[in-house]
Amino acid sequence: MVRLPAGSLRQLGPTATFYAVFFGVPLVILFVLSFWTQQGFERVPDLTLRNYLEGFTNRLYLQVFLRTILVSLVTALIVVPVAYLMAYLMRFTFERRGQLLLGLILISLFSGYQVRIYAWRTILGTEGILNTALMQLGLISEPITALIFSPLAVMITLVGLLLPLALLPIWSSMANVSRDHLEAARDLGSNGLRLHRTVLLPMVLPGVGTAFAIAFVLAAGDFVVPAMVGGTTGGTLVGNLIANQFRGSGADWPLGAALAFMIMALLVFVYLTSIRLLRWVTRW
Amino acid sequence: MGDSVVSGSGRRSGRGRDAAGGAGTSALTIWASRLFIAVVLIYLFAPVVVTVLFSFTTSPRLSLPIEGVTLDWYRKAFADPLFTTALNNSLVLAVVTAVVSVTLGVTFSFGMARLSARTRGPLLTASLLPAAVPALVLGVALAVFFTALNRPPGLVNAAIGHILVALPFVILTLNARLETFDFSVTEAARDLGASPLRTFRDITFPIMRPSVIGAALLAMALSIDEFVVTWFTIGNQQTLPVLIWGLLRRGIDPTVNALATVVLVSLVFLVVLSSLLSRRRS
Repeated sequence: MVRLPAGSLRQLGPTATFYAVFFGVPLVILFVLSFWTQQGFERVPDLTLRNYLEGFTNRLYLQVFLRTILVSLVTALIVVPVAYLMAYLMRFTFERRGQLLLGLILISLFSGYQVRIYAWRTILGTEGILNTALMQLGLISEPITALIFSPLAVMITLVGLLLPLALLPIWSSMANVSRDHLEAARDLGSNGLRLHRTVLLPMVLPGVGTAFAIAFVLAAGDFVVPAMVGGTTGGTLVGNLIANQFRGSGADWPLGAALAFMIMALLVFVYLTSIRLLRWVTRW
Repeated sequence: MGDSVVSGSGRRSGRGRDAAGGAGTSALTIWASRLFIAVVLIYLFAPVVVTVLFSFTTSPRLSLPIEGVTLDWYRKAFADPLFTTALNNSLVLAVVTAVVSVTLGVTFSFGMARLSARTRGPLLTASLLPAAVPALVLGVALAVFFTALNRPPGLVNAAIGHILVALPFVILTLNARLETFDFSVTEAARDLGASPLRTFRDITFPIMRPSVIGAALLAMALSIDEFVVTWFTIGNQQTLPVLIWGLLRRGIDPTVNALATVVLVSLVFLVVLSSLLSRRRS
Protein backbone atom coordinates (compact mmCIF):
# COMPACT_ATOMS: atom_id res chain seq x y z
CA MET A 1 0.00 0.00 0.00
CA VAL A 2 1.00 3.55 -0.61
CA ARG A 3 1.70 5.37 2.61
CA LEU A 4 0.75 9.01 2.64
CA PRO A 5 2.61 11.45 4.87
CA ALA A 6 0.64 12.66 7.86
CA GLY A 7 -1.51 15.65 7.10
CA SER A 8 -1.51 15.21 3.32
CA LEU A 9 -4.77 13.28 3.54
CA ARG A 10 -6.40 16.36 5.00
CA GLN A 11 -5.20 18.38 2.03
CA LEU A 12 -6.10 15.77 -0.59
CA GLY A 13 -9.41 14.92 1.03
CA PRO A 14 -11.69 17.77 -0.08
CA THR A 15 -10.82 17.50 -3.78
CA ALA A 16 -10.90 13.70 -3.66
CA THR A 17 -14.36 13.87 -2.09
CA PHE A 18 -15.55 16.38 -4.68
CA TYR A 19 -14.35 14.12 -7.50
CA ALA A 20 -15.86 11.04 -5.91
CA VAL A 21 -19.29 12.63 -5.37
CA PHE A 22 -19.66 14.73 -8.52
CA PHE A 23 -17.57 12.73 -10.99
CA GLY A 24 -17.32 9.12 -9.82
CA VAL A 25 -20.86 8.63 -8.55
CA PRO A 26 -22.57 10.30 -11.58
CA LEU A 27 -20.59 8.08 -13.98
CA VAL A 28 -21.51 4.98 -11.97
CA ILE A 29 -25.19 6.00 -11.99
CA LEU A 30 -25.01 6.64 -15.73
CA PHE A 31 -23.47 3.20 -16.19
CA VAL A 32 -26.18 1.51 -14.13
CA LEU A 33 -28.82 3.47 -16.05
CA SER A 34 -27.48 2.11 -19.33
CA PHE A 35 -28.88 -1.31 -18.37
CA TRP A 36 -32.37 0.02 -17.59
CA THR A 37 -35.26 0.31 -20.00
CA GLN A 38 -37.37 3.27 -21.01
CA GLN A 39 -41.12 2.65 -21.15
CA GLY A 40 -42.94 5.76 -22.27
CA PHE A 41 -42.01 8.45 -19.79
CA GLU A 42 -40.93 5.91 -17.19
CA ARG A 43 -37.43 4.61 -16.62
CA VAL A 44 -37.65 1.07 -15.35
CA PRO A 45 -34.81 -0.62 -13.43
CA ASP A 46 -33.61 -3.59 -15.41
CA LEU A 47 -30.49 -5.53 -16.26
CA THR A 48 -30.62 -5.70 -20.02
CA LEU A 49 -28.07 -5.28 -22.79
CA ARG A 50 -30.83 -4.16 -25.15
CA ASN A 51 -29.58 -0.55 -25.26
CA TYR A 52 -26.09 -1.62 -26.26
CA LEU A 53 -27.45 -4.05 -28.82
CA GLU A 54 -29.64 -1.26 -30.18
CA GLY A 55 -26.49 0.83 -30.64
CA PHE A 56 -24.82 -2.01 -32.52
CA THR A 57 -27.70 -3.20 -34.66
CA ASN A 58 -29.77 -0.14 -35.52
CA ARG A 59 -28.61 0.84 -38.99
CA LEU A 60 -29.00 4.56 -38.36
CA TYR A 61 -26.89 4.42 -35.21
CA LEU A 62 -24.29 2.24 -36.86
CA GLN A 63 -24.05 4.69 -39.72
CA VAL A 64 -23.67 7.63 -37.34
CA PHE A 65 -21.04 5.73 -35.33
CA LEU A 66 -19.02 5.03 -38.45
CA ARG A 67 -19.34 8.64 -39.57
CA THR A 68 -18.21 9.83 -36.14
CA ILE A 69 -15.13 7.61 -36.28
CA LEU A 70 -14.31 8.75 -39.81
CA VAL A 71 -14.86 12.46 -39.15
CA SER A 72 -12.86 12.38 -35.89
CA LEU A 73 -10.07 10.36 -37.44
CA VAL A 74 -9.70 12.67 -40.45
CA THR A 75 -9.91 15.71 -38.15
CA ALA A 76 -7.19 14.33 -35.84
CA LEU A 77 -5.02 13.29 -38.80
CA ILE A 78 -5.17 16.86 -40.15
CA VAL A 79 -4.83 18.58 -36.78
CA VAL A 80 -1.85 16.63 -35.42
CA PRO A 81 0.62 17.04 -38.33
CA VAL A 82 -0.30 20.73 -38.68
CA ALA A 83 0.12 21.24 -34.93
CA TYR A 84 3.43 19.34 -35.02
CA LEU A 85 4.78 21.44 -37.86
CA MET A 86 3.53 24.65 -36.29
CA ALA A 87 5.08 23.76 -32.92
CA TYR A 88 8.32 22.81 -34.64
CA LEU A 89 8.52 26.13 -36.49
CA MET A 90 7.64 28.06 -33.33
CA ARG A 91 10.24 26.22 -31.28
CA PHE A 92 13.19 25.87 -33.64
CA THR A 93 12.81 27.98 -36.78
CA PHE A 94 11.24 31.18 -35.53
CA GLU A 95 12.34 30.80 -31.95
CA ARG A 96 12.41 34.50 -31.18
CA ARG A 97 8.73 34.86 -32.09
CA GLY A 98 7.80 31.60 -30.38
CA GLN A 99 6.29 33.16 -27.27
CA LEU A 100 4.30 35.69 -29.29
CA LEU A 101 2.91 32.95 -31.52
CA LEU A 102 2.08 30.86 -28.47
CA GLY A 103 0.20 33.83 -27.02
CA LEU A 104 -1.83 34.15 -30.23
CA ILE A 105 -2.60 30.43 -30.18
CA LEU A 106 -3.82 30.74 -26.57
CA ILE A 107 -6.00 33.72 -27.45
CA SER A 108 -7.58 31.83 -30.31
CA LEU A 109 -8.17 28.88 -27.98
CA PHE A 110 -10.10 31.15 -25.64
CA SER A 111 -11.93 33.18 -28.22
CA GLY A 112 -15.18 31.46 -27.40
CA TYR A 113 -16.14 27.90 -28.25
CA GLN A 114 -19.61 28.70 -29.58
CA VAL A 115 -18.50 31.97 -31.09
CA ARG A 116 -16.06 30.20 -33.36
CA ILE A 117 -18.55 27.50 -34.37
CA TYR A 118 -21.19 30.06 -35.19
CA ALA A 119 -18.71 32.19 -37.11
CA TRP A 120 -17.81 29.23 -39.30
CA ARG A 121 -21.47 28.98 -40.22
CA THR A 122 -21.33 32.61 -41.28
CA ILE A 123 -18.20 31.95 -43.31
CA LEU A 124 -19.24 28.66 -44.94
CA GLY A 125 -22.97 29.30 -45.51
CA THR A 126 -24.58 29.29 -48.96
CA GLU A 127 -24.83 33.07 -48.70
CA GLY A 128 -21.75 33.16 -46.48
CA ILE A 129 -18.55 35.07 -46.82
CA LEU A 130 -16.58 32.41 -48.65
CA ASN A 131 -19.22 31.71 -51.28
CA THR A 132 -19.98 35.42 -51.75
CA ALA A 133 -16.30 36.23 -52.16
CA LEU A 134 -15.71 33.38 -54.60
CA MET A 135 -18.74 34.44 -56.67
CA GLN A 136 -17.70 38.07 -56.71
CA LEU A 137 -14.27 37.01 -57.88
CA GLY A 138 -15.98 35.05 -60.62
CA LEU A 139 -14.32 31.81 -59.58
CA ILE A 140 -17.65 30.06 -59.18
CA SER A 141 -21.04 30.82 -60.67
CA GLU A 142 -23.15 29.10 -58.03
CA PRO A 143 -22.55 28.79 -54.30
CA ILE A 144 -20.82 25.61 -53.18
CA THR A 145 -23.55 24.04 -51.08
CA ALA A 146 -21.37 21.22 -49.77
CA LEU A 147 -19.47 23.76 -47.67
CA ILE A 148 -22.21 23.93 -45.06
CA PHE A 149 -24.46 21.37 -43.35
CA SER A 150 -22.17 18.53 -44.32
CA PRO A 151 -19.46 16.37 -42.76
CA LEU A 152 -16.98 18.65 -44.56
CA ALA A 153 -18.28 21.69 -42.65
CA VAL A 154 -18.03 19.73 -39.41
CA MET A 155 -14.40 18.86 -40.11
CA ILE A 156 -13.44 22.39 -41.19
CA THR A 157 -14.90 23.76 -37.95
CA LEU A 158 -13.43 21.04 -35.73
CA VAL A 159 -9.94 21.53 -37.18
CA GLY A 160 -10.08 25.22 -36.23
CA LEU A 161 -11.40 24.45 -32.76
CA LEU A 162 -8.97 21.68 -31.92
CA LEU A 163 -5.73 22.89 -33.49
CA PRO A 164 -4.74 25.18 -30.58
CA LEU A 165 -5.51 22.43 -28.06
CA ALA A 166 -3.46 19.85 -29.95
CA LEU A 167 -0.59 22.26 -30.33
CA LEU A 168 -0.07 22.81 -26.61
CA PRO A 169 1.09 19.30 -25.61
CA ILE A 170 3.36 19.04 -28.66
CA TRP A 171 4.79 22.47 -27.93
CA SER A 172 5.50 21.67 -24.29
CA SER A 173 7.23 18.40 -25.13
CA MET A 174 9.34 20.20 -27.76
CA ALA A 175 10.30 22.81 -25.18
CA ASN A 176 12.29 20.05 -23.44
CA VAL A 177 14.23 19.16 -26.58
CA SER A 178 17.44 21.08 -26.89
CA ARG A 179 18.58 22.55 -30.13
CA ASP A 180 22.01 20.98 -29.60
CA HIS A 181 20.49 17.54 -29.64
CA LEU A 182 18.95 18.11 -33.05
CA GLU A 183 22.15 19.59 -34.37
CA ALA A 184 24.18 16.67 -33.12
CA ALA A 185 21.84 14.36 -34.99
CA ARG A 186 22.19 16.53 -38.05
CA ASP A 187 25.98 16.49 -37.83
CA LEU A 188 25.84 12.71 -37.71
CA GLY A 189 24.07 12.77 -41.05
CA SER A 190 20.44 12.52 -40.06
CA ASN A 191 18.28 15.05 -41.79
CA GLY A 192 14.97 15.73 -43.39
CA LEU A 193 12.17 13.36 -42.75
CA ARG A 194 14.57 10.94 -41.10
CA LEU A 195 15.56 13.47 -38.49
CA HIS A 196 11.92 13.85 -37.53
CA ARG A 197 11.17 10.16 -37.55
CA THR A 198 14.21 8.84 -35.73
CA VAL A 199 15.20 11.76 -33.50
CA LEU A 200 12.60 14.44 -32.80
CA LEU A 201 9.37 12.45 -33.05
CA PRO A 202 10.44 9.75 -30.56
CA MET A 203 11.42 12.49 -28.11
CA VAL A 204 8.08 14.28 -28.35
CA LEU A 205 6.00 11.13 -28.74
CA PRO A 206 4.04 11.55 -25.48
CA GLY A 207 3.07 15.06 -26.60
CA VAL A 208 2.03 13.90 -30.05
CA GLY A 209 0.07 11.01 -28.56
CA THR A 210 -1.72 13.36 -26.18
CA ALA A 211 -2.46 15.76 -29.04
CA PHE A 212 -3.95 12.97 -31.12
CA ALA A 213 -6.04 11.73 -28.20
CA ILE A 214 -7.29 15.24 -27.41
CA ALA A 215 -8.20 15.93 -31.04
CA PHE A 216 -9.95 12.59 -31.52
CA VAL A 217 -11.77 12.55 -28.19
CA LEU A 218 -13.06 16.10 -28.46
CA ALA A 219 -14.08 15.64 -32.09
CA ALA A 220 -15.91 12.38 -31.40
CA GLY A 221 -17.59 13.70 -28.27
CA ASP A 222 -18.78 17.02 -29.68
CA PHE A 223 -22.41 17.70 -30.41
CA VAL A 224 -22.47 21.49 -30.78
CA VAL A 225 -20.43 21.55 -34.00
CA PRO A 226 -22.52 18.95 -35.85
CA ALA A 227 -25.70 20.59 -34.52
CA MET A 228 -24.68 24.01 -35.82
CA VAL A 229 -22.86 23.28 -39.08
CA GLY A 230 -23.55 19.58 -39.71
CA GLY A 231 -27.16 19.89 -40.81
CA THR A 232 -29.99 17.62 -39.79
CA THR A 233 -28.97 14.40 -41.48
CA GLY A 234 -25.66 14.33 -43.34
CA GLY A 235 -23.43 15.66 -40.59
CA THR A 236 -24.97 14.14 -37.46
CA LEU A 237 -22.47 12.62 -35.03
CA VAL A 238 -22.92 10.31 -32.03
CA GLY A 239 -22.86 13.38 -29.78
CA ASN A 240 -26.16 14.53 -31.29
CA LEU A 241 -27.73 11.11 -30.78
CA ILE A 242 -26.68 11.13 -27.13
CA ALA A 243 -27.75 14.73 -26.51
CA ASN A 244 -31.13 14.06 -28.12
CA GLN A 245 -31.76 11.15 -25.76
CA PHE A 246 -31.45 13.53 -22.83
CA ARG A 247 -32.94 16.82 -23.91
CA GLY A 248 -35.16 16.06 -26.85
CA SER A 249 -38.74 14.96 -27.17
CA GLY A 250 -38.94 11.17 -27.06
CA ALA A 251 -35.97 11.15 -24.73
CA ASP A 252 -34.57 7.75 -23.79
CA TRP A 253 -32.02 8.14 -21.01
CA PRO A 254 -30.99 4.46 -20.76
CA LEU A 255 -30.27 4.36 -24.48
CA GLY A 256 -28.39 7.66 -24.26
CA ALA A 257 -26.34 6.31 -21.35
CA ALA A 258 -25.46 3.16 -23.31
CA LEU A 259 -24.44 5.25 -26.34
CA ALA A 260 -22.28 7.42 -24.06
CA PHE A 261 -20.41 4.39 -22.74
CA MET A 262 -20.04 2.98 -26.25
CA ILE A 263 -18.39 6.18 -27.42
CA MET A 264 -16.14 6.23 -24.33
CA ALA A 265 -15.07 2.63 -24.97
CA LEU A 266 -14.26 3.65 -28.53
CA LEU A 267 -12.19 6.59 -27.30
CA VAL A 268 -10.15 4.43 -24.93
CA PHE A 269 -9.58 1.94 -27.74
CA VAL A 270 -8.46 4.65 -30.16
CA TYR A 271 -6.18 6.18 -27.56
CA LEU A 272 -4.41 2.91 -26.81
CA THR A 273 -4.15 2.03 -30.50
CA SER A 274 -2.76 5.41 -31.46
CA ILE A 275 -0.04 5.23 -28.81
CA ARG A 276 0.95 1.77 -30.03
CA LEU A 277 0.83 2.86 -33.66
CA LEU A 278 3.03 5.89 -33.00
CA ARG A 279 5.57 3.70 -31.18
CA TRP A 280 5.63 1.40 -34.17
CA VAL A 281 6.04 4.25 -36.66
CA THR A 282 8.99 5.72 -34.81
CA ARG A 283 10.70 2.35 -34.56
CA TRP A 284 10.38 1.60 -38.24
CA MET B 1 14.68 36.54 -38.51
CA GLY B 2 18.36 35.98 -37.95
CA ASP B 3 18.13 33.26 -35.36
CA SER B 4 16.18 31.03 -37.65
CA VAL B 5 19.15 30.05 -39.76
CA VAL B 6 20.33 27.18 -37.63
CA SER B 7 21.73 24.81 -40.17
CA GLY B 8 18.70 23.58 -41.95
CA SER B 9 16.32 23.47 -39.04
CA GLY B 10 13.55 24.64 -41.28
CA ARG B 11 14.67 22.60 -44.19
CA ARG B 12 12.35 19.68 -43.96
CA SER B 13 9.83 21.44 -41.86
CA GLY B 14 7.29 20.96 -44.60
CA ARG B 15 7.79 17.21 -44.62
CA GLY B 16 7.75 17.10 -48.38
CA ARG B 17 5.75 20.29 -48.62
CA ASP B 18 8.92 22.15 -49.52
CA ALA B 19 11.49 19.90 -51.06
CA ALA B 20 13.69 22.90 -51.82
CA GLY B 21 16.10 22.30 -48.95
CA GLY B 22 19.69 22.32 -50.15
CA ALA B 23 22.55 22.84 -47.77
CA GLY B 24 21.45 25.11 -44.93
CA THR B 25 18.08 26.76 -44.74
CA SER B 26 17.09 28.11 -48.08
CA ALA B 27 15.21 31.37 -48.36
CA LEU B 28 12.41 29.51 -50.06
CA THR B 29 11.98 27.22 -47.06
CA ILE B 30 11.84 30.17 -44.70
CA TRP B 31 9.20 31.83 -46.84
CA ALA B 32 7.23 28.62 -47.13
CA SER B 33 7.36 28.30 -43.34
CA ARG B 34 6.16 31.86 -42.90
CA LEU B 35 3.35 31.28 -45.35
CA PHE B 36 2.35 28.16 -43.43
CA ILE B 37 2.24 30.04 -40.14
CA ALA B 38 0.24 32.84 -41.74
CA VAL B 39 -2.32 30.39 -43.17
CA VAL B 40 -2.70 28.68 -39.79
CA LEU B 41 -3.20 32.02 -38.02
CA ILE B 42 -5.75 33.18 -40.59
CA TYR B 43 -7.60 29.90 -40.19
CA LEU B 44 -7.64 30.33 -36.40
CA PHE B 45 -8.61 33.99 -36.36
CA ALA B 46 -11.03 34.23 -39.29
CA PRO B 47 -14.02 33.27 -37.09
CA VAL B 48 -13.00 35.81 -34.44
CA VAL B 49 -12.59 38.63 -36.95
CA VAL B 50 -15.90 37.80 -38.62
CA THR B 51 -17.80 37.87 -35.33
CA VAL B 52 -16.35 41.15 -34.12
CA LEU B 53 -16.76 42.76 -37.55
CA PHE B 54 -20.41 41.82 -37.95
CA SER B 55 -21.26 42.98 -34.45
CA PHE B 56 -20.67 46.53 -35.73
CA THR B 57 -22.36 46.39 -39.15
CA THR B 58 -25.78 47.80 -39.99
CA SER B 59 -26.87 45.05 -42.34
CA PRO B 60 -28.73 42.34 -40.46
CA ARG B 61 -27.80 39.95 -43.23
CA LEU B 62 -24.34 38.61 -42.79
CA SER B 63 -22.71 39.35 -46.11
CA LEU B 64 -20.01 41.41 -47.71
CA PRO B 65 -19.46 44.23 -48.55
CA ILE B 66 -20.20 46.02 -45.31
CA GLU B 67 -22.77 48.78 -45.67
CA GLY B 68 -22.47 50.80 -42.49
CA VAL B 69 -21.20 50.81 -38.94
CA THR B 70 -23.43 50.82 -35.86
CA LEU B 71 -23.55 50.12 -32.14
CA ASP B 72 -27.25 49.18 -32.34
CA TRP B 73 -26.73 45.47 -31.70
CA TYR B 74 -24.93 46.24 -28.45
CA ARG B 75 -27.66 48.70 -27.43
CA LYS B 76 -30.29 46.13 -28.26
CA ALA B 77 -28.44 43.42 -26.35
CA PHE B 78 -27.88 45.49 -23.21
CA ALA B 79 -31.52 46.64 -23.23
CA ASP B 80 -32.71 43.04 -23.25
CA PRO B 81 -33.42 41.76 -19.72
CA LEU B 82 -32.68 38.23 -20.95
CA PHE B 83 -29.15 39.34 -21.79
CA THR B 84 -28.52 41.16 -18.51
CA THR B 85 -29.78 38.15 -16.54
CA ALA B 86 -27.56 35.83 -18.57
CA LEU B 87 -24.57 38.13 -18.12
CA ASN B 88 -25.22 38.31 -14.40
CA ASN B 89 -25.52 34.52 -14.09
CA SER B 90 -22.36 34.01 -16.13
CA LEU B 91 -20.41 36.36 -13.86
CA VAL B 92 -21.74 34.77 -10.66
CA LEU B 93 -20.88 31.30 -11.96
CA ALA B 94 -17.41 32.48 -13.00
CA VAL B 95 -16.63 33.91 -9.57
CA VAL B 96 -18.01 30.90 -7.68
CA THR B 97 -16.13 28.52 -9.98
CA ALA B 98 -12.88 30.44 -9.50
CA VAL B 99 -13.14 30.65 -5.71
CA VAL B 100 -14.13 27.01 -5.14
CA SER B 101 -11.89 25.39 -7.74
CA VAL B 102 -8.85 27.41 -6.63
CA THR B 103 -9.47 26.69 -2.93
CA LEU B 104 -9.76 22.98 -3.68
CA GLY B 105 -6.92 23.10 -6.20
CA VAL B 106 -4.44 24.91 -3.93
CA THR B 107 -5.09 22.55 -1.01
CA PHE B 108 -4.84 19.52 -3.26
CA SER B 109 -1.67 20.64 -5.02
CA PHE B 110 0.11 21.36 -1.73
CA GLY B 111 -0.98 17.96 -0.46
CA MET B 112 0.44 16.40 -3.63
CA ALA B 113 3.72 18.28 -3.36
CA ARG B 114 4.47 16.44 -0.13
CA LEU B 115 4.17 13.04 -1.76
CA SER B 116 6.91 11.06 -3.44
CA ALA B 117 7.12 11.38 -7.20
CA ARG B 118 5.91 7.81 -7.57
CA THR B 119 2.65 8.51 -5.80
CA ARG B 120 2.27 12.01 -7.25
CA GLY B 121 2.34 10.97 -10.91
CA PRO B 122 -0.71 8.67 -10.87
CA LEU B 123 -2.54 11.06 -8.55
CA LEU B 124 -1.99 13.96 -10.94
CA THR B 125 -3.22 11.83 -13.84
CA ALA B 126 -6.30 10.86 -11.85
CA SER B 127 -7.03 14.48 -10.99
CA LEU B 128 -7.01 15.34 -14.71
CA LEU B 129 -9.56 12.65 -15.60
CA PRO B 130 -12.62 14.94 -15.81
CA ALA B 131 -10.82 16.83 -18.57
CA ALA B 132 -10.30 13.58 -20.49
CA VAL B 133 -13.98 12.69 -20.50
CA PRO B 134 -16.05 14.42 -23.21
CA ALA B 135 -18.01 17.37 -21.75
CA LEU B 136 -21.16 15.80 -23.17
CA VAL B 137 -20.69 12.72 -20.99
CA LEU B 138 -19.96 14.88 -17.92
CA GLY B 139 -23.10 16.86 -18.67
CA VAL B 140 -25.47 13.91 -19.03
CA ALA B 141 -23.88 12.11 -16.05
CA LEU B 142 -24.49 15.16 -13.85
CA ALA B 143 -28.03 15.56 -15.22
CA VAL B 144 -28.80 11.95 -14.33
CA PHE B 145 -27.08 12.30 -10.94
CA PHE B 146 -29.09 15.37 -9.91
CA THR B 147 -32.32 13.76 -11.12
CA ALA B 148 -31.53 10.69 -9.02
CA LEU B 149 -31.15 13.03 -6.04
CA ASN B 150 -34.42 14.75 -6.94
CA ARG B 151 -32.57 18.04 -7.26
CA PRO B 152 -34.22 20.39 -9.78
CA PRO B 153 -31.80 21.82 -12.38
CA GLY B 154 -30.48 25.33 -11.79
CA LEU B 155 -27.52 27.56 -11.12
CA VAL B 156 -26.11 25.50 -8.23
CA ASN B 157 -26.01 22.36 -10.37
CA ALA B 158 -24.36 24.30 -13.15
CA ALA B 159 -21.79 25.70 -10.70
CA ILE B 160 -20.85 22.18 -9.62
CA GLY B 161 -20.42 21.25 -13.29
CA HIS B 162 -18.24 24.30 -13.90
CA ILE B 163 -16.02 23.51 -10.91
CA LEU B 164 -15.60 19.97 -12.20
CA VAL B 165 -14.60 21.32 -15.62
CA ALA B 166 -12.17 23.92 -14.22
CA LEU B 167 -10.53 21.92 -11.42
CA PRO B 168 -8.22 19.76 -13.60
CA PHE B 169 -6.81 22.87 -15.29
CA VAL B 170 -6.37 24.67 -11.97
CA ILE B 171 -4.51 21.68 -10.53
CA LEU B 172 -2.36 21.39 -13.64
CA THR B 173 -1.39 25.08 -13.48
CA LEU B 174 -0.62 25.05 -9.75
CA ASN B 175 1.22 21.74 -9.90
CA ALA B 176 3.49 23.07 -12.63
CA ARG B 177 4.41 26.01 -10.38
CA LEU B 178 4.88 23.88 -7.27
CA GLU B 179 7.33 21.60 -9.07
CA THR B 180 9.82 24.46 -9.03
CA PHE B 181 8.78 25.68 -5.58
CA ASP B 182 11.67 25.83 -3.12
CA PHE B 183 10.31 24.20 0.02
CA SER B 184 13.50 25.00 1.98
CA VAL B 185 12.12 28.54 2.32
CA THR B 186 9.08 27.35 4.23
CA GLU B 187 11.22 24.94 6.25
CA ALA B 188 13.43 27.87 7.24
CA ALA B 189 10.38 29.83 8.36
CA ARG B 190 9.20 26.86 10.42
CA ASP B 191 12.67 26.45 11.95
CA LEU B 192 12.61 30.11 12.95
CA GLY B 193 9.42 29.46 14.87
CA ALA B 194 6.63 30.50 12.51
CA SER B 195 3.39 28.55 12.87
CA PRO B 196 2.19 26.58 9.82
CA LEU B 197 -0.57 29.15 9.30
CA ARG B 198 1.83 32.08 9.52
CA THR B 199 4.29 30.32 7.20
CA PHE B 200 1.53 29.91 4.67
CA ARG B 201 0.29 33.49 5.03
CA ASP B 202 3.68 35.25 5.04
CA ILE B 203 5.87 33.00 2.91
CA THR B 204 4.09 30.41 0.80
CA PHE B 205 1.10 32.39 -0.37
CA PRO B 206 2.97 35.56 -1.40
CA ILE B 207 5.31 33.40 -3.50
CA MET B 208 2.42 31.48 -5.03
CA ARG B 209 0.10 34.46 -5.45
CA PRO B 210 0.69 35.13 -9.17
CA SER B 211 0.08 31.47 -10.04
CA VAL B 212 -2.98 31.28 -7.82
CA ILE B 213 -4.51 34.39 -9.38
CA GLY B 214 -3.54 33.09 -12.81
CA ALA B 215 -5.31 29.80 -12.09
CA ALA B 216 -8.37 31.68 -10.81
CA LEU B 217 -8.61 33.75 -13.99
CA LEU B 218 -8.24 30.60 -16.08
CA ALA B 219 -11.08 29.00 -14.11
CA MET B 220 -13.23 32.09 -14.76
CA ALA B 221 -12.50 31.94 -18.48
CA LEU B 222 -13.37 28.23 -18.62
CA SER B 223 -16.60 28.93 -16.75
CA ILE B 224 -17.68 31.83 -18.94
CA ASP B 225 -17.05 29.76 -22.08
CA GLU B 226 -18.66 26.57 -20.74
CA PHE B 227 -21.75 25.52 -22.66
CA VAL B 228 -22.20 21.75 -22.83
CA VAL B 229 -22.22 20.84 -19.13
CA THR B 230 -24.21 24.00 -18.39
CA TRP B 231 -26.88 23.11 -20.90
CA PHE B 232 -27.54 19.77 -19.21
CA THR B 233 -27.58 21.11 -15.66
CA ILE B 234 -29.03 24.62 -15.67
CA GLY B 235 -32.63 23.92 -16.69
CA ASN B 236 -34.49 27.06 -17.72
CA GLN B 237 -31.91 29.53 -16.41
CA GLN B 238 -29.60 31.43 -18.72
CA THR B 239 -25.90 32.02 -19.09
CA LEU B 240 -24.37 33.85 -22.05
CA PRO B 241 -23.49 30.67 -23.99
CA VAL B 242 -26.93 29.17 -23.26
CA LEU B 243 -28.59 32.38 -24.47
CA ILE B 244 -26.44 32.42 -27.62
CA TRP B 245 -27.38 28.80 -28.31
CA GLY B 246 -31.07 29.65 -27.98
CA LEU B 247 -30.77 32.62 -30.33
CA LEU B 248 -28.87 30.57 -32.89
CA ARG B 249 -31.57 27.94 -32.94
CA ARG B 250 -34.16 30.59 -33.69
CA GLY B 251 -32.39 31.87 -36.79
CA ILE B 252 -30.14 34.72 -37.78
CA ASP B 253 -30.05 37.53 -35.25
CA PRO B 254 -27.15 39.99 -35.38
CA THR B 255 -27.33 40.62 -31.63
CA VAL B 256 -25.67 37.21 -31.36
CA ASN B 257 -22.51 38.78 -32.75
CA ALA B 258 -22.65 41.47 -30.08
CA LEU B 259 -23.18 38.88 -27.31
CA ALA B 260 -20.42 36.73 -28.73
CA THR B 261 -18.07 39.70 -28.84
CA VAL B 262 -18.80 40.46 -25.18
CA VAL B 263 -17.93 36.84 -24.30
CA LEU B 264 -14.86 36.95 -26.50
CA VAL B 265 -13.47 40.19 -25.07
CA SER B 266 -13.91 39.03 -21.48
CA LEU B 267 -12.27 35.67 -22.25
CA VAL B 268 -9.28 37.20 -24.00
CA PHE B 269 -8.86 39.69 -21.16
CA LEU B 270 -8.91 36.92 -18.53
CA VAL B 271 -6.59 34.61 -20.42
CA VAL B 272 -3.99 37.24 -21.28
CA LEU B 273 -3.92 38.37 -17.66
CA SER B 274 -3.80 34.77 -16.47
CA SER B 275 -0.85 33.80 -18.63
CA LEU B 276 1.05 36.96 -17.71
CA LEU B 277 0.61 36.16 -14.02
CA SER B 278 1.33 32.46 -14.33
CA ARG B 279 4.52 33.13 -16.20
CA ARG B 280 5.85 35.65 -13.69
CA ARG B 281 8.29 33.97 -11.35
CA SER B 282 8.70 35.62 -7.99
